[in-house]
Order: sequence, then structure tokens, then C-alpha cells
Amino acid sequence: MNLETLVRRALKDIRQHMAMYALTTMVVTLSILIFLFFSLIYVNLHHFASRFGTQLGVVVYLKEGINEELIPKIYNELLAINGVKNVVYISQEEAFKRLERYLGDEKMVLEGVDATFLPDSFEVKVEKALFQPERLRVIADKIKKIEGVDKVQYGREWVQRLEVFTGIARNVVVASGILLLFTAAFVVSITIRLNVYARQEELEILRLVGATNGFIEGPFLMEAMLQGLLGAGIAIVLLYASYLNVSSGLLMPGFIKGLKLVFLPWELVVLVVGLSMVLCLLGTHFSMRKFLRS
Amino acid sequence: MIERDDGIPIITLASVTKRYPHDIVALDDITLSLEKGEFCFLTGPSGSGKSTLLKLLYFAEQPTSGDIFIEGINIKTIKEAHKPIFRRKIGVVFQDFKLLQDRNVFDNVALALEVVGFSHDQIAYRVNKVLESLGLGGKGRRFPQELSGGEQQRVAIARAIVNRPPIILADEPTGNLDSVRTMEVLDIMDELNARGTTILFATHDERLFEGTRRRVVRLRDGRMEVGY
Repeated sequence: MNLETLVRRALKDIRQHMAMYALTTMVVTLSILIFLFFSLIYVNLHHFASRFGTQLGVVVYLKEGINEELIPKIYNELLAINGVKNVVYISQEEAFKRLERYLGDEKMVLEGVDATFLPDSFEVKVEKALFQPERLRVIADKIKKIEGVDKVQYGREWVQRLEVFTGIARNVVVASGILLLFTAAFVVSITIRLNVYARQEELEILRLVGATNGFIEGPFLMEAMLQGLLGAGIAIVLLYASYLNVSSGLLMPGFIKGLKLVFLPWELVVLVVGLSMVLCLLGTHFSMRKFLRS
Repeated sequence: MIERDDGIPIITLASVTKRYPHDIVALDDITLSLEKGEFCFLTGPSGSGKSTLLKLLYFAEQPTSGDIFIEGINIKTIKEAHKPIFRRKIGVVFQDFKLLQDRNVFDNVALALEVVGFSHDQIAYRVNKVLESLGLGGKGRRFPQELSGGEQQRVAIARAIVNRPPIILADEPTGNLDSVRTMEVLDIMDELNARGTTILFATHDERLFEGTRRRVVRLRDGRMEVGY
């Protein structure tokens, strides 16, 4: 049987079982849509969190009256630490200016005070600090050992709480994702099985007239693959449409500034389409195996 | 075993027994041969094993013990992958026709040729010819439910014979038909037989072979009563 005959038979089959095919495809679409919707929420939370997380860092205070020649050396040492994203030097004058800005109208309390009462310091930003708060502690410990460093501040308690929270959140997300994926796979394979059972008589007749297993299975597998592609495709289009809709809603004035949604990464989209096709293909193959044994 | 000069029997059952679970014996030690071109009736009350015997011959069931030879080949030795191809030597006709209701007459018959891999044109030529010969010319576009029982059975026969198998197995093909349609089916079978097709015709209706000189094999409770 050549490819042309196979495609022709598959298309004819779909035409003949249009209602059933549409229904099964809809189940595939809905199952995948639920999974994708969940992923989209997760991806966006992750996105917001990483933006917020870049504010997290370690403040390094230097010893009073430190030899100025040491400062570039400390800077380089800080940068060399694994996981450090960037390092900003805050001179005494800069710190003083910040304090003034912070006090605003009440800056007169600083009158007559010399900037040197504030220590020199570094602000160290840590990569992915929000998702791996334990990094902050590790890095802070390393910084403490550098010569010329007086104090290291990173909000120890806060980081510990964050550690517990992100740990739970990550587990919940992973477990729900896996559960949703299994549910989708289960629903799709049951639906496909019902579909195959409904066409049992046809399979028997095909066997009766001497059809080989390949001949019987070919169009079914073709249809299943198309079903996986269509189901996932429609789900992605629906999700993208609602994503655009919600995004444009967020652009309206008065809403949180700088809040921008992101769509699923294309790798995930491709993976979902592929998985959907494989799932439909395997579901059909295993449902049919029973009927194809002589 | 009967061996004749003109060749080996087309169908041979040698001590074939078929048992179902719970020790239900459907066929008990059946030995039977059909010559090429023979027309044999297989009769007996319902539950006597007629359908089981046919099922063994078209590979829907496997014997518990004993050997079955078709054209001299022991079907036990046929590989699983080759069975469908071997099955094409056998056309089967049923009491309930087993037509696909969502396909028209032409497509139902064409199925048997599509499976073999005939081209579009060859299929059209052969199907139309066989429909014509069975008095179904012009009904190709009709659907099974639009036809009478007799016509549906002729469509089923058309499907069974369109790729010219040397053997036809008929399982109560006239069970749902009135006496006129029954005679039509018998006439068609006679004609096929006259052209050399071997026919094994299972029926519980004794009137079908009364007065004919055809061979009759009787089954009762899975055993052969009369054979020759």
C-alpha cells in the first residue's frame, strides 16, 4: 500500500466517521488545553518571580578606613564567586546621597554630618536567587572570608522562609503538572479506545476479506497522528488567542505598570505537539492490538 | 485420507477437535476432506458445531488438536503475518451479511480488492462486473439498509467472490431469507460451483439439499454423523 492510498483511505475514513472523529479530537484539544493553561500560568509566575528576584542580593560592608587599593581587588574577588551576577561599588559619598534621598524632606538631620560615618560597600546581585535562596547563604559565607570585609547582610530569616516556600511551590507545580499530564493521557487513550471499539465490526470484516494488519492499522494510525496534531494545534491557537486578549487588557492605563505576560517557550509548544501525536498514535496502536491478533 | 489422482484435497480436517473453556466440546475428532470443485452441505441442529468448523477454516479460531490442510498446506505452519494473505483464498458469506452500513454497495464489495492492492480502475471494472452478474447492476451507490435482505446477501456474496477465491464458505447464508431469495442464493452458489469453486455450505434447513445429489455432512453435538 503506497502513501497516497494510505492518505486517501485515512481521509475517507475521517469523512465517514466525522462526528466521532471531531468528538475525539475535541477531547484531545481540551485535555491539552488544560495542561497548557496550567503551564502558561506557571511560566508567567516564574517570569514575574525572576524579575522580582533580581532585586535580591547581598550587601557587603567594608572595614572602616580600608586601604583604597584593596577595593578593586575585593571587587574582582566578588565577581569571581560562582553564581554572582554583578557587583556594584557604593562609595561612602554615594551611600550618603542615597540616605539623603531616602530621608527626603527630613534630610536636615544629616546636616553637619560627614559622609565618612558610612562604610564603603558593595551590592552583590545573585543569579536565580529567588529559586535557589540557599545560594545567597553560600555566597555570603564565601564573601565573609574575603580580606577587608566587615559585615555581610542578606536577610537571613527572610531567605530561609523563602527557601521553604519555593521548595513547596516547586513540588506542587511539578506534581500538578505530572498529574495533569497523566489525566490528559488517560482521557485521550480511553476516548481512542472507545472509538476503536465502535469500529470493531469494520475491523472484523477487513480481516475477513484478508487485510493484513498493516493495511488495517495504517489509516487508523494516520488518523491518530493527524488527531494529535489537530488537537494540540487547536489547543495552542486557543491559548494564544486568550493570551493576546488578556495581554492587551493589561496594557490599559491604571493597571500595574510593567506587568507583561509571556507566552509559552516555543520548545514547550513543539514538545506538546509532538507528545500529543505520539500519545494518540500509541493509544490507537494499543487499542487495536487486541483486534489484530489472529 | 482420501487422495485422488487429480490432486490433493482442497480442504482436509484430520482428527480436529475444538474445545472451549469450561470443557465445552464444539467439535470432536472431525476428519473430513473436500475435493477441488466439490459442493458440500454441512448440516445439523443449531449448536452442533457447523459455525465452529467454518471458523476454523477461515482462521477465526484455532483447533485444540488435530490438523487442517488447505490446498495441502497445514495451516499451523503458516506464519501469523501470512495468514491474511492465505485467507484471501477463502470467501465467506454469513447469515447476517456483515456489510458495512456506512458504505455503499460498491465500496463494500471493493473492500475485498482494496485489501489485495488492486488499482482504482481494476477495482471499478471488477466490482461492476460482479455486481452485474449478481443482478445488482445500477445499485452500486445504494447503501445496505436501502436494499432487501436478498439483495444484501447478494452484495455479501459479491464481496466474497470478487477476488475469485477457490473456496467459498457459507454460514447459514439463507437463514434470513424467504424461499424465493433462498433459491436465488442457491442458484448463485450452483453457478459458482459450476465454474470450479469449492463450496462448503452450512445450513440447518434440510429442504435446501432434499433431492439434490450433493454430498451432505451431518454434525450432532460436535461429532460427524454421516460422511463419505
